[in-house]
Amino acid sequence: MHILDGFLDLAVAAVCALASAAVLAYAARRVDGELSDARAPLLGLVAAGIFAAQMLDWPIVGGTSAHFVGGAFAAILLGPHLGALCVATVVTVQALVFGDGGVVVLGANVFNMAIVEVYVGYAIYRALAGHHEIAAAFTAGWLGITAGALSAAVQLGLSSAFAYELGTVVLIMGAGHLALGLIEGAITAVVYRAVVDARPDVLPSSPLREVKA
Amino acid sequence: MSALDRSWFLKGLAILLVLTLLAPVFGWAAGQVGYAEPLDNAAEATGATDAAETINPGLMPDYGVPGLGSASGTLLAALVGTGLTLVLATGMGRVLAD
Repeated sequence: MHILDGFLDLAVAAVCALASAAVLAYAARRVDGELSDARAPLLGLVAAGIFAAQMLDWPIVGGTSAHFVGGAFAAILLGPHLGALCVATVVTVQALVFGDGGVVVLGANVFNMAIVEVYVGYAIYRALAGHHEIAAAFTAGWLGITAGALSAAVQLGLSSAFAYELGTVVLIMGAGHLALGLIEGAITAVVYRAVVDARPDVLPSSPLREVKA
Repeated sequence: MSALDRSWFLKGLAILLVLTLLAPVFGWAAGQVGYAEPLDNAAEATGATDAAETINPGLMPDYGVPGLGSASGTLLAALVGTGLTLVLATGMGRVLAD
C-alpha cells in the first residue's frame, strides 16, 4: 500500500508529514531512556526482518499479490512507540534507496504503515490478549493492516489524482485489505507464537508471560 | 551482549539470510501471476494511474540493480536493504538507549 509521488495533493501530503513527524517525535521521547542497550540489536533484527519479509510478494490466484507489512507485529514485539520508529525506518529506506513509495508522500506512507497500523494493531492486541493471545496477534495483524489501508484510502480519496472519489477508493482498498489482511494476521500470529516459544523475555509486557510468572 | 543474547542474535541473522535468499524466488512467482494490489486497482478505477511520477528512483530502483539480471539484482537489493535497515535501526536503538 505504498503511495507513489503524484497520487496525493500537496496539502494532504504536508498534513500527513506533519502528523507523522509529531507522532514519531512523541514516540522517541517515550522510548528515550526506557530502552536498554541490550534491546538495541532486537530493534535492528525486527526492522531488518520486516524489510526482508516485505520483499516477499505472496502470489495469489487471480492476478493479485500481497506482502506482509508487519506494523502490528513490530508493535507487539517492541511496544507501540519503538514499533512505530522501527517501521518508519523500514518505510524510509524503501522510499529513499529503492524508490518504493514516493518521497513527497513519505510522511503519508509512514503515517499509514508505521503509525496507524502499529498503534491500531497494538490497541487490538492489548484489548484481546487477555482472552487468547494468538487470536489477539492474528486480529491485530488483520485489522491493523486494514486500518492502515483505510487511512491511505482516505488520503488518496481526498486528492485530485483520484478524482476525489473517496467512496470508491475506500471501498476498493478497504475490502481488498480486509481480505488480504488475513495473510498478515496469519503471519503475525505464527511468528509471534515462535517468538513467545523461543524468547518470551524479549516481549515488552505479555499477558501470557504474566500468567506464567 | 551475553552468550545467550549472542547466540540468539546469530539465529536472528540466519533467519534474515533465509528471507533474503527467498526474495528472488517470491519475486519470480509474483511476476508469474502479475503484481496488483488494492491501491493499484483503486488508481485504475479512478483514472489516477497516469498521475504517478518518479521523483526519486533510488539507487536500486524497484529492488533491482540496473544491468544485473532480475534474480541476482533482487538478491543483491534484498541483502543491501536488509543489512542497511539492520544497521540503521540498531544504531537508532543505541542512540535512544543512551
